[in-house]
Amino acid sequence: MTKQELTSYIQEKFSGEIQVIENDQKEPYLIIQPKDLHRFCRFIYDDTRLLLTFLMNMSGVDTKERFEVVYNVCSYRYKLRLYFKILIPYDKAEFDTIRDIWPVADWFEREIWELFGVNVNGHPNLKRFLLPDDWDQGYPMRKDWQGRDVITLPER
Amino acid sequence: MGLDEQKPGEEKVPIYNEKLADGNLILTQANKILTVAQARSLWYLLFGTACCAIELMATGASRYDFDRLGMIFRATPRQSDLMIIAGTITYKMAPVVKRLYDQMAEPRYVLAMGGCAIGGGPFYYDSYAVLRGVDKIIPVDVYVPGCPPRPESLLHGCLEVGKKIKQQKMTDWRKR
Repeated sequence: MTKQELTSYIQEKFSGEIQVIENDQKEPYLIIQPKDLHRFCRFIYDDTRLLLTFLMNMSGVDTKERFEVVYNVCSYRYKLRLYFKILIPYDKAEFDTIRDIWPVADWFEREIWELFGVNVNGHPNLKRFLLPDDWDQGYPMRKDWQGRDVITLPER
Repeated sequence: MGLDEQKPGEEKVPIYNEKLADGNLILTQANKILTVAQARSLWYLLFGTACCAIELMATGASRYDFDRLGMIFRATPRQSDLMIIAGTITYKMAPVVKRLYDQMAEPRYVLAMGGCAIGGGPFYYDSYAVLRGVDKIIPVDVYVPGCPPRPESLLHGCLEVGKKIKQQKMTDWRKR
């Protein structure tokens, strides 16, 4: 399945709800509505023509306008790769868990919850993960974060 | 004079007397022989937190061969004399380092290996997680700069630790 076929196949199933980002990579890059996230993930996992059963990576982004969560999935069966992301506004910083589909998302979501302060709805185990146990300085991966011990690189 | 060359009628000399007469007797100070023995058997704690540990392993392997200095890795701090901080120490790791140092028996020595252990290295600026120098939590005897240091540098640093040990008096141990 080529990039174009894969994009149009997914768009047929989710007409009008999926936005495609044009790029010159070999894999399609989509934007999913946060409310459709779980349904979309369940679809690409279960669909017999896709079988995107492996969540390679999942990362949070702060773009200074909103949060984004980027998912990279691939299919061993059909040698497919797909990237998609959801956009999360600052004033409603939450998204749904997909831990029940890909169990590996447990740690990824905990990391995003801890470092960005984005709430993960339905996650069963949201507790301190990477930061020290006595951490009290907020969410260090946010762009507007100011730390106590951070020494800023001087301008050249 | 061996037993074979003994002639009949000659008085038999005990072997230990013979050895003493040959000059196999060493006169030295207790302090000196203790410090030399200590400097030549520096067992180090197998503790690596980042890429410097790869270089530490290379130095311990056959090409550079720590063993010829009498340095053998120990997997427990209670049997170690030297702690080589090989790698970045984060704020989360710092209590663990402090605890491992406290578990080591006196006399104990610390070698800070690489830029991260000396002063934060490339993580000095704009980092919320990295401790800027391991000497903020434990005393460091020898600093080996590099990113990571070559095995030759590390070997030289360990010899410097040995020199430092040899300069010590037995009375110094109590002060540390």
